[in-house]
Amino acid sequence: MTTLDGQLENLRETDDLVSVAQRVHWDATAASVAAEATRHNCPATVFENTPGEVRLASGVFGGPDQFTSLDRQPWQRTAQALGFDSDCSYETMIERLARRTTDSVDDSSDREPDATSLEDVDLYGLGLPTTDDGEPLIDLGILVATRDGATTWTPIRGVAQRSTTLRLTIPEAAADWIGPQTDASIVLGVGAAPLVAAIQGWTQDRITPDVPGLASGISDVSMATVDSRVVPSAADVRIDGEITIDRTAPDPNGSKSAWERTCETTVVDVHVDRIATREDPVVAFTPLGEPLTDDLHLVSLVEAAQLFRRVNGYWGVSPVEWIRLPVEARLGLCLVSSEILYAGFEWQLANTLFSFSKLFDKVLVLDENADPTNLARSIDDMWVKAHPGNDWIFSEPNAPSATAPRYRQDGETGSRLYINATWDPHWDEEYIAPQVTFETSFSENVKEALEERWEELGLDELVGSNNR
Amino acid sequence: MTADSLRQYLQTLETRGEIHRISEPVSWNLEASAVTMLANTEDSRIPLFEDVDGARLVGDPYRGSQRRPWDRIALGLGLPPDLSYEEYYEAVIERLNDPKSPTTVEADDAPCKDVVETGDDVDLLDFPWPYIHAGDGGRYSNLHTLIAPDIDSEWVDWSYHRSMIHDDETASVLLLAGEQTPNLYYYKYERRDEPMPVAIAVGAEPAVQYTSVMWIPTGRDEAEFAGGLKGEPIELVECETNDLRVPATAELVIEGEIVPNERRDEGPFGDYFGYVHGPRRSMPLLRVTGITHQQDPIIPFCVEGTGVGYSENSTSSMEAGCVGPDATLGLRTAGFDVECCAPWKSTPRTVYTIATPSDENGYLHELANFIFTTWGMLHVDFFIFVDADVDPLDQRQVLEALTLHADPDEDFHQFGVETMPKVPLNIYQTPTEKGDVQTGTSKAKTAKAYIDATSDGSATRDSADTELEYRAQEILESAGVDSEKLPFVDPGEGER
Repeated sequence: MTTLDGQLENLRETDDLVSVAQRVHWDATAASVAAEATRHNCPATVFENTPGEVRLASGVFGGPDQFTSLDRQPWQRTAQALGFDSDCSYETMIERLARRTTDSVDDSSDREPDATSLEDVDLYGLGLPTTDDGEPLIDLGILVATRDGATTWTPIRGVAQRSTTLRLTIPEAAADWIGPQTDASIVLGVGAAPLVAAIQGWTQDRITPDVPGLASGISDVSMATVDSRVVPSAADVRIDGEITIDRTAPDPNGSKSAWERTCETTVVDVHVDRIATREDPVVAFTPLGEPLTDDLHLVSLVEAAQLFRRVNGYWGVSPVEWIRLPVEARLGLCLVSSEILYAGFEWQLANTLFSFSKLFDKVLVLDENADPTNLARSIDDMWVKAHPGNDWIFSEPNAPSATAPRYRQDGETGSRLYINATWDPHWDEEYIAPQVTFETSFSENVKEALEERWEELGLDELVGSNNR
Repeated sequence: MTADSLRQYLQTLETRGEIHRISEPVSWNLEASAVTMLANTEDSRIPLFEDVDGARLVGDPYRGSQRRPWDRIALGLGLPPDLSYEEYYEAVIERLNDPKSPTTVEADDAPCKDVVETGDDVDLLDFPWPYIHAGDGGRYSNLHTLIAPDIDSEWVDWSYHRSMIHDDETASVLLLAGEQTPNLYYYKYERRDEPMPVAIAVGAEPAVQYTSVMWIPTGRDEAEFAGGLKGEPIELVECETNDLRVPATAELVIEGEIVPNERRDEGPFGDYFGYVHGPRRSMPLLRVTGITHQQDPIIPFCVEGTGVGYSENSTSSMEAGCVGPDATLGLRTAGFDVECCAPWKSTPRTVYTIATPSDENGYLHELANFIFTTWGMLHVDFFIFVDADVDPLDQRQVLEALTLHADPDEDFHQFGVETMPKVPLNIYQTPTEKGDVQTGTSKAKTAKAYIDATSDGSATRDSADTELEYRAQEILESAGVDSEKLPFVDPGEGER
């Protein structure tokens, strides 16, 4: 079972959560603490003492900057939150997300949700963290709506504009599917699976309205029913009301969430009828616009999984080892590790990736043995292995602009860049420089002698146990 | 207190629990470097090998921590190791701005003269020069200061050129034309068919070692800058077999001459960028005329190739802790408005980041042009320009600036495709392209580029509310977050 509660417990058990007991207001202070925590690679944070109905948590699906962290990977908290094995490799995680299996929702979906209605609490009373404009932030949640008896979940981002009104963005495709006006629920305080599934269902190459099914395909998600809508039963907060699509309204204030850069969006207004919460509710949020935020992590993984699935099914063979959109680069760069099947394949690969994603306009192509857990070494190869003239390849300036970078946001066309940091297939084997590693730098005799003398040389004390 | 010698520096480390003494016999033949590589990778203590064929080796003594690569460099200068990079850079710059003339001491007062060997007594192979990587061409001295005089003036250059030991009295020295000492050799001494007198100070005091990796302008007395760094004059002593003066507290001094028109094999070698580059090359021959040393000398060495990715070694840490502040000062002295110039933290020399508040028309081009025609000519392939509030040593911040603000259309600038000189120590050219040429430069030229990753007003972040940030960090600290993770910029200081 992957719920927010469960994730907080996981984080506590792995010593990756700090509890802020000090009273912290939901005004700019909570967001500022969350921003400092993510920017400086701190553990996830739970705010135990805030003035509203809910407690807040931040960084629960995020992770550290991989340049500075050797022992924790950026995607580990998300893997944990999805219920994957704790030692799950990056490649395994991407492969699992790339499957996009749709399972039927569990048999108990007609049960009552955990959250019960609150009397006399409006949107402001929840105590959600505010944006720079002072409006309560809605993020890391889903919109639940139905059509013809089928439920879908969509990603959301927005603000509370009045005590009973929300203004949100959702994917335009979802708005088209839902229709101009309907009853809906906004669900906050959910686990990672509903969030990931909602992004997968509505922002990718394939539209899959059965997002609850997608979520069940990723992980075990317990469901409940509210007014014929299927919702995650363990959600901490549910806001029920009527939504109206307004295609002419300006976007809600505040920074965009990362998923908004992957698709066209539409504004919906929500008139709130009812607010329900679980006992002692917690809402996860992320300080949008800051580095390393949870939304970047989730989209990074979903987009990488999509690209991995598409390129490895594109030519009838599967040469790609892994694909990453590092959160450190705010999704503006794509790394791909691949076998180079033939001369020019790196060009084909880079340009295929450009075709399949609108986020980035820079691709770094790495050899098949590149390590996805060593971002520093991958970027090093960009500098030292790619010829600074011949291997930095710019397209003609007629490509559509990418959405992650901050330049050319007016849609003006421009160039794309890929950097080829792979060995030239024309080269003789002897030209290929071996990496300096412990394995390659020392003969077996030396390594065996060192193992035998490990204790004598005090190496346990110097570098730890001899488990290498 | 600034360390007067390598051994005093090591004592400082030891009092802080940062030395790992190994008294059991260890071989110079890959074993010492294997242990050092493990220590480097694990960000552990500095290994001091006390019995290596009867002598001592120390592996990567100037390696800083992975989080703060300049911390042990700072200790060698008597600076607190926990300074922020801004504080550390400004402290070093302040010292470089106050050079101090060296003094000369008598041989009796020079520890490096404890033992003096000249003539037939000279034997390089008496010392445990390490064989560092299995693919290397030979055993190396690679953490030292090469001292060489200009033939036409009083100027003496201190620099850092690795030397491969060949036999009891010869070595080949990696001299790449375009750098100061190699230029003296190739274009002055060799053209006049004269040997270049040299001394190699092995295990010199920290301020000397640091100066030898900096780009001190031609004609300036390097010993004065070392004195500035140290905060007091460097003590020099005269050589036994030539007229050079060497740091008196060096562990060991090799005196000799680099002879004209003679070459010996050099390399392959596992080099600073993390790969073993080839092919074996021909480099100038050093003929040794004398060796002086302290009793029980300590020979430092660097496991090159381990200062990439996450791990540090002496080269990468000195790049961040010595070359960075020196380059920042150099650019400011040349009139450029530079907040900081620092290397890309996980691979030394190839790429530098410059934080600057100015992006006026032509300014960045002029700045790049200045660097590529001076100290950045041979090793550096890229410069990245970022906003003044970006920390050039924070790779996440720099990568973010590069991906979000550097437009492939207009922000990547190459100085021609195949027009510029480049050392043959690269892996993106074939051996044929690099050539085996007499002057030590690459036969094929290469490209160099600068990247404008300044925000052009589209910064990803509004100006920081430092008071709110400070308060937020206090809240996190009181909740139990390790304060080492938090910068705590005093709100009174405002933005950088």
